[in-house]
Amino acid sequence: MNRIMIAALAALIAAPAGAQDFSEGSEAKNWNLAHGETKARFEAKVTDAVCAFTGDCPEDCGAGLRQMVLQRVADGKTLLVFKNIQPIFSGGSYDLAAYCGQTVTVDGLIVGDPEVTKGAEIMQVQTVTVAGETAKTNQFTKGWEARTPEPIGEKGPWFRRDPLIQERLDTTGYFGLGKEEDAKYAEENF
Amino acid sequence: MNLKLTTALAAGAFVLLGGVAQAAAEKVTVTGEVIDTWCYYSGVMGWYDTVVGSAHHTCAMWCAAGGIPVGILADDGTVYMVMKWEGDPNIADGTAMLDVQSHRVTAEGMLHKVDDINYLMVSEVTSNEGITNLSHEDFGIVPGFAFPDPNKQ
Repeated sequence: MNRIMIAALAALIAAPAGAQDFSEGSEAKNWNLAHGETKARFEAKVTDAVCAFTGDCPEDCGAGLRQMVLQRVADGKTLLVFKNIQPIFSGGSYDLAAYCGQTVTVDGLIVGDPEVTKGAEIMQVQTVTVAGETAKTNQFTKGWEARTPEPIGEKGPWFRRDPLIQERLDTTGYFGLGKEEDAKYAEENF
Repeated sequence: MNLKLTTALAAGAFVLLGGVAQAAAEKVTVTGEVIDTWCYYSGVMGWYDTVVGSAHHTCAMWCAAGGIPVGILADDGTVYMVMKWEGDPNIADGTAMLDVQSHRVTAEGMLHKVDDINYLMVSEVTSNEGITNLSHEDFGIVPGFAFPDPNKQ
């Protein structure tokens, strides 16, 4: 029986004890998020959510295409990865899938207002440490480049160059309500 | 109440299989708005009512394509985190869900509630009302840079 199973069983037996503090030793950077943030560094097993809850477990955790979860060793709690370290509208799937099935140390922020998250731990992972090697979670753009052979233009952030997004903007506009709504907004605001 | 439990299985129990804690699931029908959950929970782009609806549509597409988990915000404030979309687990590149960002939908699927997060495996979208939250009428575009200045293009 591995540590994850023991911790999960212990968590089931134990009475709920409120949110634990995992900030000790964290080197995460603050993002000054409006709804609150707490540093968190802990050991966890990495897997994808569909695997964790249904038993459908590809060896590569979907290689960046599935949403990823962390199964924390200390208390058996499962956390969903919402964000990587890059401030470019990027999640953490590509970064975390690289550690599929491994037990690693993650460092980052748990964010949100507890009155809204209602106990859910919303995790931004900034770094992953395994076997003494620490890596920033900054691989999203490489994954996007690999799956986007014909980006728009030669420079600029990925979200301005993504042809699938631009196709939608060209048809339904920035509000998703059609080009007429865009034109009306532009006339009133620029 | 827009959450209808059509089948209930031994909720709250966990079954440990193959070293992975698997939660008992319920078949549910959920109605709500498809949202960008990072901006909603973190407040990075503004207050809750500014990061939903038409005002945030472009940013929601960016975040979905960027792999940030997509959610369905039900009318009672519950957020359901989408882990499969119409049976497909490969959703973290957003392509399967770009066309429904900010839309009000009704979806059926299996709900796994684990550690206070509602993980929803959507099997079927039974209705799509389109964008019904016209938040841009109050907030414009959020974030402001999402709508490029046409005079500078």
